[in-house]
Amino acid sequence: MTAEIIVVTSGKGGVGKTTTSASLATGLAMAGKKVAVIDFDVGLRNLDLIMGCERRVVYDFINVVHGEATLKQSLIKDKRHDNLYVLAASQTRDKDALTQEGVEKVLDGLSEDGFDYVVCDSPAGIEKGAHLAMYFADHAVVVVNPEVSSVRDSDRILGLLASKTRRAERGEGAITQHLLLTRYNPARVAIGEMLSVKDVEEILGINVVGVIPESENVLTASNNGIPVIVDANSLAGQAYSDTVARILGEERPLRFIDVPKKGFLQRVFGG
Amino acid sequence: MSVKMDTTDACDLRFGQVGIACVRVRRVDAAALCDELERRVRAAPQLFSRAAVVLDLSHLLDLPDDGAVDALLEAVRSAGMLPVGLAYGTSETEALAKRMGLPLIAKFRAAYEPASGAAPAPVETAAPRHDAAPPEPIHATPTSGNAPTAQHHAGAVRSGQQIYARDRDLIVTGAIANGAEVIADGNIHVYGSLRGRAMAGAQGDENTRIFVSDFRAELVAIAGHYRVFEQIPDNLEGQSVQCWLEGEKLLIAKL
Repeated sequence: MTAEIIVVTSGKGGVGKTTTSASLATGLAMAGKKVAVIDFDVGLRNLDLIMGCERRVVYDFINVVHGEATLKQSLIKDKRHDNLYVLAASQTRDKDALTQEGVEKVLDGLSEDGFDYVVCDSPAGIEKGAHLAMYFADHAVVVVNPEVSSVRDSDRILGLLASKTRRAERGEGAITQHLLLTRYNPARVAIGEMLSVKDVEEILGINVVGVIPESENVLTASNNGIPVIVDANSLAGQAYSDTVARILGEERPLRFIDVPKKGFLQRVFGG
Repeated sequence: MSVKMDTTDACDLRFGQVGIACVRVRRVDAAALCDELERRVRAAPQLFSRAAVVLDLSHLLDLPDDGAVDALLEAVRSAGMLPVGLAYGTSETEALAKRMGLPLIAKFRAAYEPASGAAPAPVETAAPRHDAAPPEPIHATPTSGNAPTAQHHAGAVRSGQQIYARDRDLIVTGAIANGAEVIADGNIHVYGSLRGRAMAGAQGDENTRIFVSDFRAELVAIAGHYRVFEQIPDNLEGQSVQCWLEGEKLLIAKL
């Protein structure tokens, strides 16, 4: 049994890759899967903060790649879910410290340890770190914001996913591509300040696997080191739960893509 | 200097296609050339200021002497453009380029001498080709009618990707994204949105055309004559259009 490798990528920075990686990994773990999430952003490590395990990092991804520590020593067990592990990036190294052989060794090791899913949190850009994060992937979650520069970068990434990955090079069939629209604000879409779901799908030529509404809860959750999917009361958390279910093959309708209708009391008193 | 062992290659050597402006000299008059180019640079500084250009002398009856060519190059420079080479003409042009220390750039539809033996290889791209039909000799007049078969690309052409159909037509069934490029020596047909660039007649065939079912292009070019679209005209945006050359003019109309 080999682990399914999912890369979370975008090209552009700041669109929500790490937030998505954390919630996706946590969501898969909540569905009973054994999951590891790896931070490929060597030199700018963030995932450990969002997963709330920054003070428990002893050995990191680079240590394992270089054989200075074992996987077992480096995997940090999540405090909420027993079947979820974090492999942090090194903050003191740069992306040249990653090698293709080293990454392959780590991914193979995780497969042997019986992991069902490995989520690779890609750095921004299309350079070495991003390339290695996507190279071994079976699935890709391309995170895109509803604005033109993010859409263009995602388009570039979709092209790279179709050509610069092991599956593509070996002719083993295309990577499954999932488009995830984040920071979606239906009210701003309605007045034409943001691209709509339809616009983005049309430009990129693929359908979205989820739409995460812009929400204050995301920032609060990140600052507290809790993946937002854990917060079942937040709209963003619910949208991430839907997304994870869809990636696991379930069909769920898109939510939170229309401007919320005001209730009776809000209409009377304003709100 | 720290001595750092690095096992990766010092560089990659790749062929790619780049758009380059061509200054076709009609008469040997450096002052007039400078004036003319200055006017162009002033009109569209973003497009032409410090733009790399090649000097095309093939329209002159006689090749000017070295001094005159030097003066022309200097005129281009003082107008604010950067001459990077001479366009391919005859073996005399080649000798001239050698004396000037400039590269000779295979120009679109230059009057290649049939006797000059091996024609220069056109600029190669890394774009995948679907089959390996033997390329026609370059100096055969490329007409779209007797091109072997069209090259077909199914699916989207993503930003940053480039497709090149050598010596033939190109048919794309899918969208061409912003920042993507499709190039053909023959005609180009796009059954989908064209949001990127399309260049037909890359070897200089001025009879080639571009057909697009949903027009939103950044740039279209035929045989080196191009139009950029900062703003797509309302009557063309999203329409089925064709582009063709009439003399020097690139025309676009709804189908």
